[in-house]
Amino acid sequence: MKDFAYVSAPDVATAVRAITEPGAKFLGGGTNLVDLMRQNVERPDTVVDITRLPLDRVEELPDGRIRIGAMMRNSALAAHRLIRTRYPMLAQALLAGASGQLRNMATVGGNVLQRTRCPYFVDLAARCNKREPGSGCDAIGGFNRNAAIFGASESCVATHPSDMCVALAALDATIELESVRGVRRLPLVGFHALPGDAPQHETAIAADELITAIELPDLPVAARSRYRKVRDRASYAFALVSVAAALEVRDGVVTEARLALGGVASRPWRAHAAERALMGAPATEESFRRAADAELAGAVAQSQNAFKIELARRAVTATLRQLHLPGGAA
Amino acid sequence: MSIATGQVQGVGQSLLRPDGTLKVTGEFAYSSDLWLDGMLWGATLRSPHPSAWIRSIDVGPALAMPGVFAVLTHQDVPGVKFYGLEHKDQPVLAIDQVRYQGEPVALVAADHPETARRAADAIVVGYELREAVTDPRQAAFDPACPQVNPHGNVVRHQPVRVGDRFTADVVVTAEYEVGMQDQAFLGPESGLAVPAEDGGVDLYVATQWLHVDQDQVAPCLGLPKEKVRLTLAGVGGAFGAREDLSMQIHASMLALRTGKPIKIVYGREESFFGHVHRHPAWMRYEHGATADGMLVYVRAEIVLDGGAYTSSSPAVVGNAASLGVGPYEVDNVWIDAYGTYTNNPPCGAMRGFGAVQACFAYESQMDRLAEACGLSPVEIRIRNAVSQGSRLATGQVVDTPAPLAGMLRELAAMPLPGPGSTDLRALPGGVAQTTHGEGVRRGIGYGVGIKNICFSEGFDDYSTARVRVELLGGEPHVLVHTAAAEVGQGLIMVKSQIARTELGIDRVTIVPADTTVGSAGSSSASRQSYVTGGAVKAACEAVRERLDKLRAGGASLAEVLAAGPVEETREYRHRPTFPMDPVTGQGDSHTQLALCVHRAVVDVDVELGLVKVVELAAVQDVGRIMNPLALEGQIHGGTAQGLGLALMEEIQVRDGKVLNPSFTDYLIPTILDMPPMRLSILENPDPHAPYGLRGAGEPPTLSSTPAIAAAVRNATGLALARVPIRPDDIALAGSALAG
Repeated sequence: MKDFAYVSAPDVATAVRAITEPGAKFLGGGTNLVDLMRQNVERPDTVVDITRLPLDRVEELPDGRIRIGAMMRNSALAAHRLIRTRYPMLAQALLAGASGQLRNMATVGGNVLQRTRCPYFVDLAARCNKREPGSGCDAIGGFNRNAAIFGASESCVATHPSDMCVALAALDATIELESVRGVRRLPLVGFHALPGDAPQHETAIAADELITAIELPDLPVAARSRYRKVRDRASYAFALVSVAAALEVRDGVVTEARLALGGVASRPWRAHAAERALMGAPATEESFRRAADAELAGAVAQSQNAFKIELARRAVTATLRQLHLPGGAA
Repeated sequence: MSIATGQVQGVGQSLLRPDGTLKVTGEFAYSSDLWLDGMLWGATLRSPHPSAWIRSIDVGPALAMPGVFAVLTHQDVPGVKFYGLEHKDQPVLAIDQVRYQGEPVALVAADHPETARRAADAIVVGYELREAVTDPRQAAFDPACPQVNPHGNVVRHQPVRVGDRFTADVVVTAEYEVGMQDQAFLGPESGLAVPAEDGGVDLYVATQWLHVDQDQVAPCLGLPKEKVRLTLAGVGGAFGAREDLSMQIHASMLALRTGKPIKIVYGREESFFGHVHRHPAWMRYEHGATADGMLVYVRAEIVLDGGAYTSSSPAVVGNAASLGVGPYEVDNVWIDAYGTYTNNPPCGAMRGFGAVQACFAYESQMDRLAEACGLSPVEIRIRNAVSQGSRLATGQVVDTPAPLAGMLRELAAMPLPGPGSTDLRALPGGVAQTTHGEGVRRGIGYGVGIKNICFSEGFDDYSTARVRVELLGGEPHVLVHTAAAEVGQGLIMVKSQIARTELGIDRVTIVPADTTVGSAGSSSASRQSYVTGGAVKAACEAVRERLDKLRAGGASLAEVLAAGPVEETREYRHRPTFPMDPVTGQGDSHTQLALCVHRAVVDVDVELGLVKVVELAAVQDVGRIMNPLALEGQIHGGTAQGLGLALMEEIQVRDGKVLNPSFTDYLIPTILDMPPMRLSILENPDPHAPYGLRGAGEPPTLSSTPAIAAAVRNATGLALARVPIRPDDIALAGSALAG
């Protein structure tokens, strides 16, 4: 780990001023950044501690939207009554992530900016275009069991590891960003970039911006939602494939569907094609399978992860089936 | 460690461990907690490449850093530059080439651990990359393959040849693979080396065998053995991973160079490169039987990848060969077991030691054979089971109780768990809500394992105990001193129980293990209760004999002891063993054999490939129960380690590089993965062993893996010839199942 300056910010104004220093990085829960600093993957000159910022509340806005402070800890958000009742898929996604200890530390803003778990990203002796642009990608043709099946490029096949973001993508969440230049809001869907030929650019955040809040729309369909995660052991493991889904069926016909996949791309993968296939379709096993097929038609496997395509197909179908069962939600 | 008791707590009783509460509450002092004022921190520079020539090493930038006291390379090794358990082929520090990723190249001592790490990073090593040899079968059998070591790529080839009938009515053939498992102990390699006034060094370290460390460290330091004194520090698990040296020579070198105490603690990532792993295996088995399921012959080829250096690969190969057909009677056997050198991570000792890999294959074969013969898995095992008087493939006669058929009958008769629960935690996928019961199929599988206890193949295997009875505060008191490493298995309790039983004195103190008493041998091969237990018993008996003589006139114990303490030291050896014939594999190579059988009940979500082990039941014959509580813990723990190998544990190695050196990416079972157990523990004594006991730590690790694999096969109908079995193996292969 190299030397760095440490600044503790008591308020957002101080934080966003401090981050304008070259080489400055925000420190939230530290569950990802500190590990990467130890491995010399992250080498900030200044660490701006934002854990004292008063951004740790969930508020219900007058128009029914929910505003989540970016410093909210994962475990606190998962336990919040409004989240559990109105957006169960988000509470479930949070609880499916990491371990209890990590969830107590990890913040909402940090979760959005999590770095990939691709093994070559943290191996300084390996080629990785994300860590060292232009060096190449050892995951292509290498150990890529958990690589992307959507949106990968010849430069990078890494996945985004967050569970929370998969639910946020399905919920059409908005990210609030603040800098000395002002405040802006971006939809979470599209916030994370596909690798293209510049996998080092991971999100739409600017170097001087702080995530201050996540906003959720007032979305009645989300009350009937579910997060389903397939992993190698019963807890504390990253998703091979995960599904966040919400479904509304009237008179046997799908009237609204929200669907996103995790563990499959460099972004939480909003399954627009599957949603389109579902809309207006009869709520049957066949429709669910067809919707999954519609989404997965675009999937491309790496050398070791063809199983993910089939696994994703089954996970999507089964999640929709479960949501449609009486009492199947939440 | 003192154990004050108010009553005789002897052999056969459940006692709580004195270190148990301390470990659970975080108060136990591990080797990583050692501290001396003024000490320096050591750090190790390791090769990032699995195979390379070293063309240059520039330590200048590291030496120039403030706070750095020493930077050492192979040129600074004071004595012999190589060490090793069986062959001294591992460089203390790499000389002109590196043969595996993580091989130590240089050392740094600094006044702060971070300074030491940074200085290590500042050392400039000129590597010229070589092609890494990573396919063990190519390494062993392709003459064109580059040589990893000067003496060829085969560490040991051990054949077993008996009989000449290799045709049968029913023949099943398959290839099996076992992935590279890690011991995954929680306490990383660590210790403290303190330079002594006599020019020697005092080393406090977490290890499995103090004297074999001493034997290897002293020559490399150019010191006589008596100037390298070792004391056992708090051990956070071992499972074989502390048999080979890690930081012992390095810390001592830095201590002697700087004249200051040196502490080295590996981080978790470094730990994955700091110890050997379980050999991954490629195995081809052919079983022939009569139509009614009686084994006619077994042919097997077993290739164990030993990685870059020898470690204990020869003995691992010996076990795979001698135990390669399992506890079954078969007259015709043709086995070739190989250990290879490659540029993969070095592999060596891990709980089960060569028997684990073979067990997965031969038990999978027994299930295939059962199916081919139309028999149940239990029935085919009973028909072929060894018993006392059976002859093993090595010609060795089983001359102690081996009631395998009865154990299987008892296991099969145990009640089965009820139907699937609706509690999410009891379902495949757990609380990740992958299923609420739909698509779940139940499977049942059996596994049988046979493990040699104590060291085999002619090794002079012994332990030493010094027992002293004296008055302390007017009360008779026993001091038990051995060099045996308590690595979490509970030996300290067993030693105190033996002393109480033999001497009838409640107050027993277990003296910390060090090299001021004779060797105890390794805390491995399930041998310490047997061998060190035997030594303690023998020393107690000698003390008792003297006390009895002194008291012959009717004096009380206190009166006798008032004249001074009574002390005796004894070495204890088990029956001798003999080498395996290098051509036929014949020979009485083992002294004791232990059996364990498992039944696994699993629920499998066949759609997503997720497995929930619902229950594990086991029957194990331990000869004599020394401490029921500790014994059950050993069986639970060994079973869990076998579950890990069956379903999730694997070091991912590609092109010689480890890709998951963390507990985030190397998965070990959590409490959500490990089910409740049902145990039946038998006591058929081995008359050659102290109290009739039989080593107990390893056997459950063997049989739980194939039992779980068999249960998953039973649920899915898939062949599943490789462990760990992962969701993709079930979900992808089982496309046809989902309907």
